[in-house]
Amino acid sequence: MLKILIPTVMLIPTIWFTPKKWLWPSTLTHSLVIALFTLTWLTWPSETAWSNLNGLMATDPLSTPLLILTCWLLPLMILASQNHTTNDPINRQRMYISLLTSLQLFLILAFSATELIMFYIMFEATLIPTLLIITRWGNQTERLNAGTYFLFYTLAGSLPLLVALLMLQNKTGSLSMLTLQHSNPLNLIMLGDKLWWMGCLMAFLVKMPLYGVHLWLPKAHVEAPIAGSMILAAVLLKLGGYGMMRLMNILEPLSKQLSYPFMILALWGIIMTGLICLRQNDLKSLIAYSSVSHMGLVTTGILIQTPWGFTGALVLMIAHGLTSSALFCLANTNYERTHSRTMVLARGLQMVLPLMAMWWFTASLANMALPPLPNLMGELMIISSLFNWSPWTLTLTGLGTLITAAYSLYLFLTTQRGPLTNHLLHMEPSHSREHLIMTLHLIPLTLLIFKPELLWGWIF
Amino acid sequence: MLARLTRIGSVFPRLCYRIPVRCVSQSKSSGAASATAVTELQQAAPSDSHGEVSPYVKNPEYHGFSSDPVVDQWNMRLAFFFGISVCLVIGGTFIHYLPDHGMRQWARREAERVILQREKEGLPLIGENYYDPSKIILPNGGEK
Repeated sequence: MLKILIPTVMLIPTIWFTPKKWLWPSTLTHSLVIALFTLTWLTWPSETAWSNLNGLMATDPLSTPLLILTCWLLPLMILASQNHTTNDPINRQRMYISLLTSLQLFLILAFSATELIMFYIMFEATLIPTLLIITRWGNQTERLNAGTYFLFYTLAGSLPLLVALLMLQNKTGSLSMLTLQHSNPLNLIMLGDKLWWMGCLMAFLVKMPLYGVHLWLPKAHVEAPIAGSMILAAVLLKLGGYGMMRLMNILEPLSKQLSYPFMILALWGIIMTGLICLRQNDLKSLIAYSSVSHMGLVTTGILIQTPWGFTGALVLMIAHGLTSSALFCLANTNYERTHSRTMVLARGLQMVLPLMAMWWFTASLANMALPPLPNLMGELMIISSLFNWSPWTLTLTGLGTLITAAYSLYLFLTTQRGPLTNHLLHMEPSHSREHLIMTLHLIPLTLLIFKPELLWGWIF
Repeated sequence: MLARLTRIGSVFPRLCYRIPVRCVSQSKSSGAASATAVTELQQAAPSDSHGEVSPYVKNPEYHGFSSDPVVDQWNMRLAFFFGISVCLVIGGTFIHYLPDHGMRQWARREAERVILQREKEGLPLIGENYYDPSKIILPNGGEK
């Protein structure tokens, strides 16, 4: 554990003491080497899930894929934000990379914490760098509003969690995930217990986000700079899924009935947010709403509490993390050239950037879950476990998949096909850097399907 | 190869260009003379300024990393080497050769081998008494 944490901490002196000229290359190289060494977490020496134990941290098949995704995202964020921060003063650039690094640090601590309260603290700590990234480096004044939404939605959701966790500590005497999953089911009968159940899950449902409490997400995504959008879509939303999967074990007797409304809301949300995507004219907003739609599927997969549901949720979380981050990068390459997120103002780009059109095509197909990719595997596992629970859910999930295909097609056709608009006279060709970012997103996604057991979580 | 040489050739005059800029900016004499010198220099090197000037004017092989051609090229090399060669290739190889978790792949291979063997010998794939019945200790049914 420390062999990743200490290099991550040492990235901050690297950022501040590197000469100005070599700031971006050296931080990129450093973070890529860290990402390489995170792969050692995949060696699970024991059959008893937890490994790399120390006093406070451990990894298990559920947290390892998310940890590796977190560490993989930092070099990609550095690559992606290299162009739009070049005009900033050097100290502000250093601050920016430091914030991204601190985010990685908090996320590693959150995903590898063995104490629920440590997880809670780190869950909250990720808010601060994200808020700073959105409100300081966003492009328009609406970013302040987006920051308020982001902060208060998440905080209002997660304060009850603190109370609920303290009550659990009082009741059981321990918040350790290592022991809680083996303890006897709690005796939950009273109305207060139901409120406690709500308190335990609300923070994660807001973070996921569940349809109905998702309004902060499109705002935050639209206003955040590229690195903020990437980490938000790829990892921060997954904190919610991860926390839910950890807590579902101890909420056992109540979840059977109490989770119905949330499952229905999440399924309904898949359709509603898909329909919102279909009439969206803002590129980043469309990708953000498609994230909400996919996360709805993940939420139901977790709430159904079957092994297939859990595995499908984890597979979809990782696959969606890479895909949506790739889509945000593509949106940013458009934004850097047209200085607008409006889709009708950047039509027919296939004529100008043909190789980028290939990336758009691949990423759109990944977003609508094309067969060889793990996205399909995750969706199918969740959909089939839902179908096993109630055949009627197939109408909702099936319609959701259809709408996903429709808006992916809409996204691709609007940005890439058709005649070029007349106002786009001066377009830069696509850079090697942008192709590299897309490669580093989509090659791991493709490679994952050759060894999907890495993403299967507890089943494997 | 020749293309690289020509790029080095374009870098050197630009480096020489910057020397007078430094001299002017460090001299603290305030007056019209220095002001005119600065404006003259800015006019002389318009490609150094920010704004809408395409980076390809200065560096035809721009990779999108930095406006400085040398840093740009080195950043590109480092990013590709550590991103593709190190992380994807070495990392992918590492994952491919990970130890067989819980001997599941071994169990699969072994099962296929046993099935082939038993089919060849004409035996049933799995015996009726998988566990030796004499070794199974059943609970005493006399309590009811």
